[in-house]
Parts: sequence; structure tokens; C-alpha cells
Amino acid sequence: MISSDLNIILPEIVLSLYAMTALLVAVYTGKDKTAPMLTTLTAAVMALIGIWIGVSGGGTETAFGGMFIDDGFSRFAKVVILLSAAAVLIMGQDYMNRRGLLRFEYPLLIALSAVGMMVMVSAGDLMALYMGLELQSLSLYVVASLRRDSVKSTEAGLKYFVLGALSSGMLLFGSSLVYGFAGTTLFSGIIQAAGEGHVSLGLLFGLVFVTVGLAFKVSAVPFHMWTPDVYEGSPTPVTAFFATAPKVAALGLFARVLHDAFGGVVGDWQQILAALSLLSMFLGAVAAIGQTNIKRLMAYSSIAHMGFALMGLAAGTAFGVQAMLIYVTIYVVMNVGTFAFILMMEKDGQPVTDIRALNLYSKAEPGKALAMLILLFSLAGVPPLVGFFGKLYVLRAAYESGLAWLAIAGVIASVIGAFYYLRIVYYMYFGEEGEGLDSVKRPVLSVLLALSAAIMLVGVVNLFGIESIAQAAAATLVN
Amino acid sequence: MTVDDNSLIIIALLPFLGALVPGVMIRAGRNACAAFTAVPTALALVMLLTKAPGVFAGQVYVAEVDWLPQLGLSAAFFLDGLGFLFASMILGVGLLITLYARFYLSGEDPMGQFYTYLLLFQGAMLGIVLSDNILLLLIFWELTSLSSFLLIGYWKHLPEGRQGARMALAVTGAGGLAMIGGMLILGNIVGSYNLTDILAAGDLIKASDWYLPALILILLGAFTKSAQFPFHFWLPHAMAAPTPVSAYLHSATMVKAGVFLMARMWPALAGTDAWFYIVATIGLITMVTGALIALFKDDLKALLAYSTVSHLGLLTMLLGFGTPMAAVVAVFHIINHLTFKAALFMTAGIVDHEAHTRDIKRLGGLRTLMPITFVIGTLAALSMAGIPLLNGFLSKEMMLEEAAHTTWAGSHLALPVLATVGALLSVAYSFRFVAHVFLGPVREDYPHKPHDPPFGLWAAPALLVGLVVLIGLLPHVVEPLVKTAAGAVTGGELPYFHLKIWHGFTPALFMSVIATVGGLILLMLHVPLDRIWASAPRPEAKVIFDRLIAALVNLSRRISDATHDGAMSRYLAIFVVATTALGYIAWRGAAMPAETRALLPIPPLVFVIWILLMAATASVVLMHRERFRALVVLGVIGLTISVGFVYLSAPDLALTQISVETVTIMLLLLALHYMPKSSPIESSATRRIRDGAIALAAGGGVGALAYAFMLRDTSTISQYHLDNSYEGGGGTNVVNVILVDFRGYDTYGEIIVLGIAGLIIFAIMEALLNGPASRKLRRTDYSADRSRDRHPLMVVIATRVMMPVALMVGAYIFLRGHNQPGGGFVAGLVVSIALLMQYMASGFAWTQDRQRIEYHSLIGWGVVLAGLTGAAAWLYASPFLTSLYGYIEVAPIEKFGIGTAFLFDLGVFLAVLGAVMLMLYSLSRIARYAGETVNTEPMDYDPSDPVQAAEKES
Repeated sequence: MISSDLNIILPEIVLSLYAMTALLVAVYTGKDKTAPMLTTLTAAVMALIGIWIGVSGGGTETAFGGMFIDDGFSRFAKVVILLSAAAVLIMGQDYMNRRGLLRFEYPLLIALSAVGMMVMVSAGDLMALYMGLELQSLSLYVVASLRRDSVKSTEAGLKYFVLGALSSGMLLFGSSLVYGFAGTTLFSGIIQAAGEGHVSLGLLFGLVFVTVGLAFKVSAVPFHMWTPDVYEGSPTPVTAFFATAPKVAALGLFARVLHDAFGGVVGDWQQILAALSLLSMFLGAVAAIGQTNIKRLMAYSSIAHMGFALMGLAAGTAFGVQAMLIYVTIYVVMNVGTFAFILMMEKDGQPVTDIRALNLYSKAEPGKALAMLILLFSLAGVPPLVGFFGKLYVLRAAYESGLAWLAIAGVIASVIGAFYYLRIVYYMYFGEEGEGLDSVKRPVLSVLLALSAAIMLVGVVNLFGIESIAQAAAATLVN
Repeated sequence: MTVDDNSLIIIALLPFLGALVPGVMIRAGRNACAAFTAVPTALALVMLLTKAPGVFAGQVYVAEVDWLPQLGLSAAFFLDGLGFLFASMILGVGLLITLYARFYLSGEDPMGQFYTYLLLFQGAMLGIVLSDNILLLLIFWELTSLSSFLLIGYWKHLPEGRQGARMALAVTGAGGLAMIGGMLILGNIVGSYNLTDILAAGDLIKASDWYLPALILILLGAFTKSAQFPFHFWLPHAMAAPTPVSAYLHSATMVKAGVFLMARMWPALAGTDAWFYIVATIGLITMVTGALIALFKDDLKALLAYSTVSHLGLLTMLLGFGTPMAAVVAVFHIINHLTFKAALFMTAGIVDHEAHTRDIKRLGGLRTLMPITFVIGTLAALSMAGIPLLNGFLSKEMMLEEAAHTTWAGSHLALPVLATVGALLSVAYSFRFVAHVFLGPVREDYPHKPHDPPFGLWAAPALLVGLVVLIGLLPHVVEPLVKTAAGAVTGGELPYFHLKIWHGFTPALFMSVIATVGGLILLMLHVPLDRIWASAPRPEAKVIFDRLIAALVNLSRRISDATHDGAMSRYLAIFVVATTALGYIAWRGAAMPAETRALLPIPPLVFVIWILLMAATASVVLMHRERFRALVVLGVIGLTISVGFVYLSAPDLALTQISVETVTIMLLLLALHYMPKSSPIESSATRRIRDGAIALAAGGGVGALAYAFMLRDTSTISQYHLDNSYEGGGGTNVVNVILVDFRGYDTYGEIIVLGIAGLIIFAIMEALLNGPASRKLRRTDYSADRSRDRHPLMVVIATRVMMPVALMVGAYIFLRGHNQPGGGFVAGLVVSIALLMQYMASGFAWTQDRQRIEYHSLIGWGVVLAGLTGAAAWLYASPFLTSLYGYIEVAPIEKFGIGTAFLFDLGVFLAVLGAVMLMLYSLSRIARYAGETVNTEPMDYDPSDPVQAAEKES
């Protein structure tokens, strides 16, 4: 019993043990001197575990009396989470090292937050949900303020923490209502209590407050306020991390709660999700236009993209979940490439975040500019790049489940949103002569940038077969 | 009749495959590069032409490969008359442009790159016209935007190219994205994304409620692409591109994509009032506006660009009429416009290439210097003007004929008159092109001495002009092509028609004559008119576009500044307001069951206490700047709540609440000692009122929610615990059993958290005392705060006497915990309070000196003990933390029940005690750091003992 339970969460256990052991070892040995080695090692461990989960396959199993679920859906999300976290770690190493930010806690906190995310997407119980969520969030609060001597970084961390605590409070309030009225914290029990289209008042309010808490985590409007400040204030590698794995985890958790626990009352949450999606898409698109700081811009871009992903969830169908999974996977790949580019933006050794510094970048660095061009077009959802297919999936999912107005609004929002991506392209290709950026050689970043751009092009052929995998994953969640 | 033919896929893919080659071949020389660009194009064209007999016989070739079937996306192609017409135009002109560009581009231009982009673009265009799947069409559609962007941006050194490229991409790209929505709707109405299915389901689509949104979204895509009013402004600005690009993209192919789409969708969308009024009107406006602007442009390419806009408007108008005959005319004019306009662009390119200027004001008299170019240019321009015996005349006549008997909003005159005006202007600018460039005296001041270009450069336009004349003289040559293509547009029977030069004295002829004569007059008046035009105020579309963008950016800044000003209070306010609003919506939406419980009577005393509680709460908010006072009131609130627990018969909660309250208040008191006594005013009065309102709304909402729940019967979980507490957990105190048994995991986690909290406070204090903040602490003078009698005798004595009593009470509470109110948690707190009192009464240092146990290890042992107890369950093959329960009889104590929960509780006790004391210890370290000395004053000697008294005296 217990051994089979442990067997099911073996990946999580291995990663946690690794993180704790490495922490102790680092404390008692070289401390920050071990950081470069630890970063590489952590990335390798996460990537290996990701591959392990990916190839292990298998059906749906539950551990600890249903508190922890290992199914196709969770495996899909975990693979994306672990691989992207590993990529981002490797990506930021050089940047952090150069600026004296590479502390040994950094990779380990990332690893711990990855454990939290893995638990989140596997949660079958409100308790497991909260545990995973908080493990992830607490690690993130710390890495957000990793640059302790910078006012912006510490402010970002503090804001994130205070608002995050408030949202956790909401989540707990909602959870306790759900528990009180469903009589159980298990999703499998809640779905029985909230089944057959009938939902009691207590459960409804529980659902609303849980949704608020989760909406904060995915930075859906109007619970998004932390995003721009945290994106801007955090060291860029951390921002890159924020933009990738946690988004997958938060959306995965969202999908799990909505379908596993409240799958019987889709009508009750569909409108909320649709509203969140609509607001996120538009605010993200409109507010990004005025930004000149590329990190803030990416923050608003992430808000808009989360709006699109939520559109898939709002559909409330298996196809919607599949669309969301595909969307967020593509989004993560694009972001890895984009942030690899942003990490290379520097002038006289100092990082630059003003997009106007990209003036005529294509002249100095035609290859990188072209890769970034592809990524930006893909982010904008311009066919035939892979980003377009993500949009198409969610739009179709929403449309087919009767949310035609949302799909149309999504199209309009993507038109508005395309503008600011194009503006960066414009600066790169047709900007005015000005002080350019340093021409830097960062093999790791260049490779990731090129790889990500190549995926956006080559993926057009069959999306690397992700369609059927996501379909199978979504089918295990929604039935 | 459809025929499966997979060679269609090869045709569509050839340009893409070919695009890989020129970049490599450029090392082999410019000729090789151009040749290798021509090969795939020519190959595709030949393959296409082999299908011509079948297409003319009415066959439709199809080919399909699954792509992403779940999305409804498949690589499906089909070739019918319309597709054939466009595909052969794209490939044919593509070939000519390849030849032309070889001679046009100079040696320094990276030609390999150019040809790669060109082939990419060609492939995308070909894809559009061959797609049998609207999603596939969409993909190719945007791919043309992308590749055209690369082509337009090819000449990066031209400053005006920048704005143009950006605008072109912004406008057409956005239009394409909007089209996604329209295509999705269409696919959903029909239930298939297959173009052939959609074209067959025209009636279904037109009857749908979603017809209008779909129409508008699709037309947005078509209008932006084909530069229709009000999106016409991007096209002329895109003309900064090299001339081969302009000739290919902006006259022959890309801008026709919009027209193609309207023609393609004609069976599905055309024929309704909405279609007629939107499409025909926009087309008409574009035709007249474009022609008017073209007349006053001095840049040759700008003139041609606006004339293209005007002709695209004409085509749009014809398609908008929605009649089969108009469709025939549109198809015919597409062919004609292609031939003369591409030739004209190339001519303009030649002039620019040879004379090094495109400014009409600096040209003139080229007739003798460039005779070949003159002939080509003049014939093409005359065709554009609609002069008989050239092909432009034929289609213009037919267009005027259609316009003559179409009524617009009940008016028979509006359309014919405006169409004539358009034709008249068209004549004027065409003549101007000839007159001001080629005619007139030879000038001395050309930037470069012009002469005819090499054969390679004029071969392509010459061929096109040959077609112009051929079709003009023998129109029936193209009749089968027009018939097949038009048949594909309408998807049904065509009216009987014949392409011929002389139609008799029709209204169209008169309109044509008026237009020609009028055009000539206009040209003669050009100089004064130009002056008026230059001085007349007119809306400049580009300026408006820029202003719109600026306004959008402004709006965006305002939104983000207003909502993301970085102020925490605003973020919190938005969060709370949004949550409250969501709760309210849920409240309104929920079907509230009727109240099933009556409100209990409220005794006056309870009511008074409740009022006091409210008042205390309000006071905390009002007094929060005076920290000590606020803390005292906070304590009052806590105690009132414990009284409430007692009143509601929850002694256990009351006990816990009181002890927790006491400990926290004491710790806070100690901590506040080192902080400023009051906090600054941070916000204005209005903001405080606003925040107060938000807080009231949120708090009121939660209150209302609780109230509503209490008035209704709900199934709750408490009964389960009441039923199972004794049997499952061996205790009758449900709260304690929940803590150590039902939710043992939680408690276990909680004590770990508590322990960690204690350790963190300790660690932070360590960092604080070693960091820069310590200097500040050292400088602080606390003497003013100190009481003169720091350790009053009474208090010291009292606490010391109470110490053993408190320890006893702790032990008692601990032992009875499982069945009666109490337990490890409360016991830990009670003992902590006893120790805390020692600290407060006798001083930190004094107490510290007498401390024997290290608090760190206390926490550790507590956690270990609790963990081991839980793990012991594994020995009995039970899950972690399963409790055992049994009775023990040890003489002389009477028989009592004991469970493993007892040991667990002990762990809890130790951890709580350790954590609280560690926090206290941390605080005391500050005190000692800040200068508090070891206190020797308190009564730690026995006054009755003479020896000690003597020591004291000395």
C-alpha cells in the first residue's frame, strides 16, 4: 500500500531528496562556489526526471487514497514543466554568474518549486493542491527577490508575496467552504457532491473563491496586478522562469480543479472563466502597446496569452483542455526562445531592457534578428508559424462549445496584440540609426534561441505529434 | 466532375522547394541564380498548363493529405477555372519578374536572398489560390504578408521603406488575423472547413445569424489585402520596395489576393444586400478616391500605386454587384489589368533605372531617348486609359455597361455617374503618365543620361504589352479562359456573352466617350488643378493612421499607468473589489434555498459584548498608528472572542484562543519595543475613505455569506467527527482527536512549521545583529521608556510562585487533553506563558542565566517524537499516524486510557514550547544588544539570610 503510493510519487520524492541533499551539501561545502555546478546538475536532474516521466507512460494511478493522481494529463504537464525549468536554468546561468547573482539556493529553489508544480498538476485533493501551490509560490517569492541589493527586485518579491498571500487566503477560504459543504477534500468526492448540474450555495462560493485564488496564480485579469512589477523587478532569468513552468503548472492545476472536482457543473464556472479570459486577452493586448521595457511588455504578453489559454479551459470540454495544453506548451517554447534573446540584450556588459535599443539590430545580428522575428510572429499568432495553431485550437474549442462571442473577441484581441510584437520587429529591421547593443557571443542562449525559432517553423509539419499526446492527456482528465 | 490528382501538391510545393536553391546558387553567379529561380517556376507553370484542357472541359482537380485532422486542417488543394487563372498569372508573371529582376538589381544587392524571398512569396500566393481548405488558405494568406514584408524590407537603406513596410504589415497582417474569426464562423456554420463544401452551402451560410459577422471579418481581410478604402493608404507607402517587387506584389499578385478571396467566396457570401452595399460601395469609393489621388502624384510609382488602388476598387465594385455578368467582367478585367499594370510598373522601373529619378516633374521628352520604352509604356498606359483596340477598353466598357443598369439605394444615377467619373480620372492620369514622361521637349538636367535598357530589361514588359494588344484586337482568344474562370466564380450557369470590340451604341460607349474627352480636358488643366490640390486641405490617410496609433499607445499608457502604478494599496483594492464583485455575482446567480432556521434570540448581554467587539475592531483600525494602543485593543478583541467561544460551549477553543492570544500579545509587546511607537500617515483622507468603503463591502460580504449559511440547514462534517471521535481516535475531546488523529498529518506539519518559524526568527535576528541595522539598535536610547522600578518586587514574587503552579496546570491540561479540553498544544502554550512571565518580571538576562535546556533541540525532539510515533504505525502495517489505543493500570493511579496519540501530543507540546521560547530568546537578544544589562536587582536572594543580605548591602 504505502510502497505503491511512494512508487507513484517517486519522481517528486527523488527531486525533493535531491534538492534537500544538495542544499545540505552546498551549505557545508563551498556555498556559492558550488552554484555553477549545482545549476547544471539541477537542470540535468530535472531534465532526466522529465524524460523519465515522459517515457514511463502507463495508465491512471492514484496514491494516498486519491490525494495524488498520476495520469496522462499530469505527466504531460510535468514533462513540460521540468524540461522548460531545466532549459531556463541553463539559460540564466551565465547571466546570473556575471552579475554575482548565482547563489547556490537559486537552482535548488527552482527545483523545489518544480516539485511544488508537479504536486499541483497531480493534486487529487484540496490539501495536495494547497501544498503543491504553496511550495511553488514560496520558492517563487524568494527567487523574485533574489537580487537583494536592488530595490526593484525586493519590492517585486514583497508585492508578490503580499498579494500571493491574499490570494492563498481566498483559495483557503474557498477550499474550506468546499470542504464544509462537500464533506471531503478529495476531488473525487467533491465531484459527487457537485454533480448532476446541481451545486449548493456553499459549494458555489467555494468554487468562486478557489477560482479567484487560482486566477491569481495564472495572472488572469483582474488578479494580474503583480505580473508586470514582478517581471520587471526580478532578474531576467527569473522572469524567464516565471513566464514558463509556473504558467503550465497553474493552468494544469486550474484544469484539474475545474474538471476533476467541478466537472459536473461546467455551467457554473464557464462564465467566470470566459470573463477572466476576455479581460486578460484585452488588457494584455492593450496595455502592452505602451510599454518600452521588454520585460514589462512580456508580462502583459503573458497576461494576454493566459487569457487565450483560459479560453480553452472555458470551453469546458476535453477538446478545450487539449487546446489549452497545446497552447501553453507552444507558449512555453516560444518564451524560452524569446527570453534567450532578451538575456543577450546588453550594452557595455549591462543588461538592457528598452526595446528602442533594438534599433536596426538586424544589421548587426541578422541571424538572431531573424530568429526573434519568427518568435515574435509566432507569439502574435501569425500563420503559418506554430503559435497560430495554438490560437486556432483554443479559438475552435471555445467556438464549438458555444462561446462564439469569446472566440471573436479573441480574434480581435490578437489583432490588437499583434501590434506590439510587430513594433519590436519594426525596431529591429527598420529602426533608426542609434546606439545599438553589444554583439555578444553566448553559445547556449544562441542555440536555445535558434532551436525555439526552428521549432516554430518546423513544428508546422505536425506539431511534433503533440496533438495526439495532448488529446490523450486531456481525455484522462475529462470524461 | 472532380479528378484526384496529386501533382497539384507538387505544384504548390515547387516554389518552396525552389526557395532553398537561390541562396546556395548565388556563389555560382547571378545568371545561375536567376536561372535556378526560374526553373521551379517554369516547371510548376508547365505542370499547370498540362491541366489546362481538363480545366477548360470543366474538370476540377483535387488532392488532399491529412495534416492536423482534429483542427479540421488538411493540406487539400483543388484546381478549377478561377484557381487556374490566378495560378497561371502568378507563375507567368513570376517568370517575367525573375528575368526582369536579374537585370534590374545591381551587383551589390544580395540577389540570392532576393530570389529566395521571391519564391517564398510565390509559393504562398500559389497556395492561396489552390487551397481547398479555408484554414490552409488562411495560412498561405498570412505567409504572403510575411514574405512580402521580407521583400519590401529588402532595401533596408531606404528610409521611407521602413514606415511603408511596417504599415503594410500592420494593416494586412491585422486584416488576416481578423479573417481567422470569419473563417472559423464559416467552418462552424457549414460543419466543414473544406472550401468546396462551403461554396456549396451558400444558402445555409446566408441564412445563418452569424452571416454578417463572418462577412465583415472576411471582408476585413480582403479589403486590407487589396488596399480598399479606408485601408488604401498602405499600398503607395509600400512602393519604396525595389520595382520588381512592386510590379509583382503590388500590381499582379498580392493585392489581387483580396479580390481573389471575394471571387472565391462569391457563391458562399455574395448576393445579399449586405454584400452589395458593403462591397460595391467600398469598391466605388476606392475607385474614385484612388484615381483622384493618382492624378496628382508626381512619383511615377506612387501614381501607378494609386491607379492600382483605383482598379482594385473597380474589381471589388464589380464583384460587389453580385450578378453573374459582373463577375464575368471582373474576371476579364483581372486579366487585362495584370497585363497593362505589370508592364507599366516595369516601365517605371526602367525609367528609374536609366534616368535615376521617378519624379515626373524632372522627366519628360524621353520619347526620343528611350524609343522602345516609350512604345511599351504608351501602349500600356493607353490600355489603362481604356482606348479602343487595347484590352483595357474592352473590360472598361463592360464595367460601365454593368454600372449603367445597377441601382444603388434606389438611385439609378449614382453608380453610372461615379463610375464615369472614375473612368475619366483614370484617363487623365494615364495620359499624364505618357505626356509628362515621354512627350514634351528633351531636357538637359536628367540626373543620369537616359537611354534604352538592355533587352533583358525590356523583354518582360514587351511581352506583356504584346498580350495587351493581342487581347485588345482579338478578345475571343481569352474567352474560354474568362468563361471557365467566371464559371468557377459564380459556381453556376453564366449568362450568354461574347467578348468583342464593338457592342453598338450602348450607354457604356457614351460614358466612355465622356470619360476620354473629360480626361483630356483634365490633363490640360493639370497645372492649375495641381496648385489647387496642393493647397487644398485633405485628410492624409497615413497621418490619420499614425494618429490612431499614437492615440492607441496613449490609451494603453493611460490604462497601464492607472492600474499598474506600482502602489500596493491599489493592487489590493483591485483584487478585493474584483473578488467581492465575483462573490456578489455568484450570490445573485445562485438559487438561494429558503431559510430553514430561525435566528436565535439575542440576550442583551451578548448584544452588548457584540457591540463592544465591533467598537474594538473599529478602534484598531482608527488607532493603528499608535502601535501599543492598537495592540492592547487587539488583545481585547482576542479575549472577547474567547468569551464568545465559552458562551457557545466550546471550552477547548476558548482555552486555545486565550493561550494563543496571551502568547502572541506578549511577544508582540516585546517586539514592538524596538520599533517606532507610531507609524506615519501614508494616505490621504479620500483614499482612506475609499479604502474603508472597499473594506466594508468585502467584510460585509463575508458576513452576509456566513449569516446566510447559518440560517439554512446544510449538511456539515461535524457529525462525522462526533460519531467517530471515540471509536476511531479513542478520545471524547473531538477537537483534540481531530488534531492528533483525524488530521494528524496537519498537526504534524503545523508543528514543523511552527518550529521553522521559531528558527527563522532566530536566524533573522542573527543576521540583523550582525548587519547594518545593529548600529541603529545600538544608538537607540530606551531610557525614556524605562520604568524606574523595572522589576517590581510584587510581580517578581508572584510569577515565581506561579511558576510551579503553572507547570502543574500545564501537565494537567496535557494529560487530560484527549478526553477533556486541553492537549499538547494548549499545554505547551500554558508552560510558555509561565516562562514568559519570568522573562518579563525578572528580566531577560536573569532568566536566560537560569535556562538549562536549549530551545532549538526542544523543537527538534518534539518533531522527532511526533514523527516516530506516527511512523511506529508502520510496524503494524497501518498508514502513517494511525493511533493505537489501550488502557493501562499502574498502581496506585487508577486505570487510565492511553494511546499513541499521547506520545504524539507530547511531541506537539515540546515543539510548541521550544518554538515560543526560541522566539522569546531571539527578542531578548536584541534587548541585550541594545544595552540591557544582566539584572541583579530582582529578588534572587533570601533577605532573611544574613550572609546574603550582607552581600547585597555591599
